[in-house]
Amino acid sequence: MFEMGGGVEVKGGKKTKKEKKKERLEGVKKEMDIDDHEIPIEDLEQRYNTNVTTGMTSTFARQVLERDGPNELKPPKGTPEYVKFARQLAGGLQCLMWVAAAICFIAFGIELARGNFTCFDNLYLAITLIAVVVVTGCFGYYQEFKSTNIIASFKNLVPQQALVIRDGRKDTISAKELVVGDLVEVKGGDRIPADIRIITAQSCKVDNSSLTGESEPQTRSPECTHENPMETKNIAFFSTTVLEGVATGVIINTGDRTIIGRIATLASGVGNEKTPIAIEIEHFVDIIAGLAIFFGFTFFVVALFIGYSFLEAMIYFMAIVVAYVPEGLLATVTVCLSLTAKRLARKNCVVKNLEAVETLGSTSVICSDKTGTLTQNRMTVAHLWFDNHVHSADTTEDQSGQSFDQSSETWRSLARVAGLCNRAIFRPDQEGIPIPRRTVVGDASETALLKFTELTIGNIEQYRNRFKKVAELPFNSTNKFALSIHELEDPLDLRYLLVMKGAPERILERCSTILIKGQELPLDEQWTEAFQTAYMDLGGLGERVLGFCNIYLNEKEFPRGFSFDPDELNFTTSNLCFCGLVSMIDPPRATVPDAVMKCRTAGIRVVMVTGDHPITAKAIAANVGIISEGSETVEDIAIRKRIPVERVNPREARACVINGGQLKDMSSDELDDALRNHPEMVFARTSPQQKLIIVESCQRLGSIVAVTGDGVNDSPALKKADIGIAMGIAGSDAAKNAADMILLDDNFASIVTGVEQGRLIFDNLKKSIAYTLTKNIPELTPYLIYITCSIPLPLGCITILFIELATDIYPSVSLAYEKAESDIMNLKPRNPRRDRLVNESLAVYSYFQIGAIQSFAGFTDYFTAMAQEGWFPLLCIGLRGNWEDTHLQDMQDSYGQEWSFSQRLYQQYTCYTVFFVSIEICQISDVLIRKTRRLSVFTQGFFRNKVLMSAIVFQILLGNLLCYCPGMPNIFNFMPIRGQWWAVPIPYGILIFVYDEIRKLGVRRAPGSWWDQELYY
Amino acid sequence: MAGTTEDKPAADKEEKASSWKDAIYNSRTGELMGRTASSWGCILLFYLVFYLFLAGMFALTMWVMLLTLDDYVPKYSDRVPTPGLVIRPKSLDILINKNDPANYGEYVQHLENLLKNYNDTLQEKNELCPPGEYFDQDLKKEDAQENQGAEQPLGNEDVNARKACQFKRSVLGRCSGLSDNTFGYSDGKPCVLLKMNRIIGLKPRGDPYINCTSMTEAKIDFVYFPNGGSIDKMYFPYYGKKAHASYVQPLVAVKLLVNKEEYNTELTIECRIEGSNLRNNDVRDKFLGRVTFRVKVVE
Repeated sequence: MFEMGGGVEVKGGKKTKKEKKKERLEGVKKEMDIDDHEIPIEDLEQRYNTNVTTGMTSTFARQVLERDGPNELKPPKGTPEYVKFARQLAGGLQCLMWVAAAICFIAFGIELARGNFTCFDNLYLAITLIAVVVVTGCFGYYQEFKSTNIIASFKNLVPQQALVIRDGRKDTISAKELVVGDLVEVKGGDRIPADIRIITAQSCKVDNSSLTGESEPQTRSPECTHENPMETKNIAFFSTTVLEGVATGVIINTGDRTIIGRIATLASGVGNEKTPIAIEIEHFVDIIAGLAIFFGFTFFVVALFIGYSFLEAMIYFMAIVVAYVPEGLLATVTVCLSLTAKRLARKNCVVKNLEAVETLGSTSVICSDKTGTLTQNRMTVAHLWFDNHVHSADTTEDQSGQSFDQSSETWRSLARVAGLCNRAIFRPDQEGIPIPRRTVVGDASETALLKFTELTIGNIEQYRNRFKKVAELPFNSTNKFALSIHELEDPLDLRYLLVMKGAPERILERCSTILIKGQELPLDEQWTEAFQTAYMDLGGLGERVLGFCNIYLNEKEFPRGFSFDPDELNFTTSNLCFCGLVSMIDPPRATVPDAVMKCRTAGIRVVMVTGDHPITAKAIAANVGIISEGSETVEDIAIRKRIPVERVNPREARACVINGGQLKDMSSDELDDALRNHPEMVFARTSPQQKLIIVESCQRLGSIVAVTGDGVNDSPALKKADIGIAMGIAGSDAAKNAADMILLDDNFASIVTGVEQGRLIFDNLKKSIAYTLTKNIPELTPYLIYITCSIPLPLGCITILFIELATDIYPSVSLAYEKAESDIMNLKPRNPRRDRLVNESLAVYSYFQIGAIQSFAGFTDYFTAMAQEGWFPLLCIGLRGNWEDTHLQDMQDSYGQEWSFSQRLYQQYTCYTVFFVSIEICQISDVLIRKTRRLSVFTQGFFRNKVLMSAIVFQILLGNLLCYCPGMPNIFNFMPIRGQWWAVPIPYGILIFVYDEIRKLGVRRAPGSWWDQELYY
Repeated sequence: MAGTTEDKPAADKEEKASSWKDAIYNSRTGELMGRTASSWGCILLFYLVFYLFLAGMFALTMWVMLLTLDDYVPKYSDRVPTPGLVIRPKSLDILINKNDPANYGEYVQHLENLLKNYNDTLQEKNELCPPGEYFDQDLKKEDAQENQGAEQPLGNEDVNARKACQFKRSVLGRCSGLSDNTFGYSDGKPCVLLKMNRIIGLKPRGDPYINCTSMTEAKIDFVYFPNGGSIDKMYFPYYGKKAHASYVQPLVAVKLLVNKEEYNTELTIECRIEGSNLRNNDVRDKFLGRVTFRVKVVE
């Protein structure tokens, strides 16, 4: 009843939260509708009280600054440290332990009230429970703190400067002090200090990749080209970088009101999802609590029936409920998770939240950003077309791939054009760095060409020096070509060489011949068609294609010393000789296709969600295997069958590419349908909000979603995802803040490792929990028998705590080192509704079978120790009243000897120790059987898990220390027991082992049978 | 399509409402707590067999263990190396109103109960042992083995049976309850009997005797019976309940000669076994070879 009430309330709370979030989402969308880019400059000047030549007056600027606040992103409202710590204390298991501690205090209070001042067990237990929660809480907090620190270290703390024009004077001020209306000037290499409307620009290009995911540089110019502020060319966004050129602009948004700021706010508004492991643990706590109350109540009734008073029965009830709490489990789970976290950290995955370790293992969908995650975020030459052939260039990061045939004469000409008609240069002093990683001054495609030529023809600087440049015309958007004129290498040859590159169709227009195998052939219809096909093919791959041509200028017409004027074009620019095409792309990382493949075999769907264009997105998706070979989109089928798109049955298409525009018009049901029907999905041109919607849709379909990303635009989705994975090197701070996990090497393949580790830890946690739970029964039954049969107490509270928190911790943790039983990467991700961490059969098998055997072992040993010291089993029953009578100093045993109370007490401690030893011996057997759930232990390798072996040794040594260390009897109630009492439980240990082998044999031999259903956990 | 979506919420609601009941009894599938009757039958049968097997194994191991036990002597007696000392009456706070027989009647009863077994008529059946020597009755090894192996013929006396030395109640003189059946409680000079716990095979070295001291300022004289509070060695060793059925352990009676001045004050008295190797100063066990009790006599 209680729980149900709570549930309803929680749900209600969620709903209002969701509604609020929705409102905010809508709000952000609306705010995007600005018109600052559409209105004429005069209106803009008026609106912001500024001037596009002299800027604002500094007095007014100061007023605006006071009104709007500084131009900086408010740091995301970091959770206060105490809240973080409190969160560590409020998990499912933690709550269980708090409740148990409270019950202990109550029981202790009742005992005190009844005048029993000697029994402090309940108090100790309560204190221990609290201590365990607090200590593990500190541990978890420390882990989180450590990984937060790693993340914090990435932060770039250099304050940004900006060049502002106020009162007609240029001035460099801190970017924080900028206000709306300020006129600023930016140049290549600068970060844009706020959202600005471009007023003037000279070949200005910006890198928007962190915002939109486009890896290509975007031109910025004063014209308004699109009504959507995100698409138009006359707005440059805060925090993007200027690659080249210069521009001036008026600030239209500052601080949190910038686009980036809004996305950051959006991210912080998205609630964090509960991790699957937290859900599992809650489910597990439900089982435990249910069983505890069931048992407690049963024995409460039994106790009343036997004739105990209500109060006594109540105390028993509480004691049983508390005894059910697996004190050691919390520590085990925490340590197992942090071990895996550590293992992952060694593989360059830093986990911010321990629970996220397992989440990756449950992941069934990965929504991956393209730029920087799947790709290198570096334009690279991918293909060349010359001699009527498409040649593939090596696009791998480390140049490990295949190169093409470079013997053709045409190639030499093409390479010469590519090398000479290129203004990009390496920054100096980079000899040690591999060429692909060197930094270059120049635009992206020229950079790509520079690196490509450096790799293929060697030192390009020397090469250029051999061909002295006499004139050049850089690329501009009206001509769409670039050219330069060089002297020839051979000093005797006095001709000039004109090299030209540009948009292929423009280049072709100017050509009359084509170079094939080193021979100039007339450019006839046939070659034009060949060119068109190649151009279309390369374009269809999502690549940016450039055409290259050259000509030797006539010596007579253009003798040495001729003054070439690039602006007037006073030289031949037609009838050139076409050399070939070079296409460039931001290539996928070398490890990605393999990783995507592994994800597929592991049953994980990889969905690409990018801000980039559909064609590029699709090409990369096909390249890395997100769209597998042979899969077609609806459009592809339409083209193949030559029918209109509408007539294609969408279900035939495995793949689907949806762009942001289409997505905007889709209802959430339609999106769900699309995700359900097409296994291979690519989302292109998506906004941050849409990324969020896609993640939500996947989650609605019951998937556990991982999102990878690096840009600010990914951060809301990262936060919304079950596990957000940010890139460590390329990732923005916003992305890292929102993520649960960070890939330090930006390697998508690390995710696969993460998945593997996550799945392994899920399996191993299952084993650890099964191991830990088992001993709950032999810890509980002594108490139950004590109540019902009134025997002297066989197992004390402190002893139980020693089992839970000392001897059994290491073995249960050692199961985390167990190797996988089967190839877990070939299995489907677990179904979060069906494959639970702790299911009923695990609990039942551990409790009622193995636990029962252990109890019998304990009682055998207990009665042995009692009988051999003079107390026969039958005498023990009903003995309790006299046994615990502190005034009875001459109690007779079975042989007529008389015992004082203290002597009996030490005998009782002997029983505790004997029972303890029995549990230990059985637990050794237990840890061995828990190595596998299905395979025989011998197949798995009996001694292969070295940690487990050392854990067993440790367990035995610690047991011996507790038993035989002097002083133990009076401090912790351990007695030095006789050697043979260690041997008594051994037959039961063997029974456990043999029985479990039989169980596994049955499970393997008869899958799906009754045996399998009931006994496989 | 539209129809089904409309139905959905209604179906959901219904499901939610019935899921709780279904968990206990699902009428459609006939499942009780998630299992059908035959499934319950199977699982219960399985557990029945499983637990029967375990119980059988338990019984077997217990049986084997009991076989290794000796009927007469416990396998180990390391938990009771030295005896405890107890007093009768069974109270450590003795409050006596010497004028009210009902008040001390309970105490007298305790003493009587203990001394029943020491009645002279009963004790005369026991052996008259030479004082000052252990009354060793160890069987020779061959005998012991023979006895253990052979069935005891019915009616015959147990071959393992040991004789006991007599301890006549009359030895306790004024505290024997023979001359004064109120044990001195009626005149404010109460008797307390001290009894050493029985321990099989215990042979105290030296000459053990009981010595009592007053732990408060009040000076009390003690009179010991038998004389000097000595415990004779002939009562040792003890051979256990079964072999030594008629054994009675030696007693020492202490008569507390409480003066009138000490009436109404609480007297704390400690008695120890002295003069032997028996421990009487264990830090934790306050009853090992010693006993402390309080007496208050009122008029």
